[in-house]
Amino acid sequence: MSGPNEDITSSHTQLSSQLFGNLLDSMIADVASECHRIAKLGLDRNLEEEEEELKLSAEARASVADAAAETNGKYVMDIFGQTHPPIANDLFECINCGRSVAAGRFAPHLEKCMGKGRKARKATRNSTAGQNRYSRGSPASTYSPYSNSAATTATSNRVPNGTTGVAGEGYSNGAFEEK
Amino acid sequence: MEGRKSVNRPPTPDPVEEQEEKEPSLQEVINVKLVESGEKERLMDLLRERLIECGWKDEMKALCRAFMKKKGRSNVTVDDLVHVITPKGRASIPDSIKAELLQRIRAFLVQASV
Repeated sequence: MSGPNEDITSSHTQLSSQLFGNLLDSMIADVASECHRIAKLGLDRNLEEEEEELKLSAEARASVADAAAETNGKYVMDIFGQTHPPIANDLFECINCGRSVAAGRFAPHLEKCMGKGRKARKATRNSTAGQNRYSRGSPASTYSPYSNSAATTATSNRVPNGTTGVAGEGYSNGAFEEK
Repeated sequence: MEGRKSVNRPPTPDPVEEQEEKEPSLQEVINVKLVESGEKERLMDLLRERLIECGWKDEMKALCRAFMKKKGRSNVTVDDLVHVITPKGRASIPDSIKAELLQRIRAFLVQASV
């Protein structure tokens, strides 16, 4: 009774494992090629920043916690006896880039992320919304405000549409392009 | 006439070493059935979803990034990354996910009456 059935079952088992292994290999190849792509396209520059930010927020928390530990043993307590971590811990999703950011680090993150900070303005940072289109030299008439600020840095390196690069800020250049 | 490979629909590429040109092996037959019925796609989607949920994908990505930092971004090939991930990747699959997938595969095999 069990003879042929056992054979089938065991061959099924073997076959299933093999098939599962194949699926797994496909998954691994997927992940590898995705990482490779991100690396080659330089999209992971932002990832490094994100890691930096996470580290910074962890450090900030740690250093404040250290200071508080001297006073209290844990965190500083308020009059109700509640303790709040001094750097807000909760993680939120940034509406701009979709990354998870610590609430206490949200403002600095937004600076970098939305291009108001100095570093993020350079045309070479090509993975946030507006800058992507502009710095790729697309002929399409885009007038994202952030990309114009890219042109205002002293070395306005990329002015793909031949606009007279350097207006102070704002939309004046964009207006021309809108033709 | 024997079933030659050029006449049959080519099975999805598998890293199986024992493919013989003469007859479609059991593996090939199953693979064709999987693909044709759409089950392979569903299994892949399921696996992908589960692996993302449990953080496996993030772990693998972290491994890749660490490797690329070390080796320098421009020298890295997809092959390199595959080799980096494969041992850890295969080993760190949560058992529940493995069990779930295996069960579905078996169910398919049974109903495909192989």
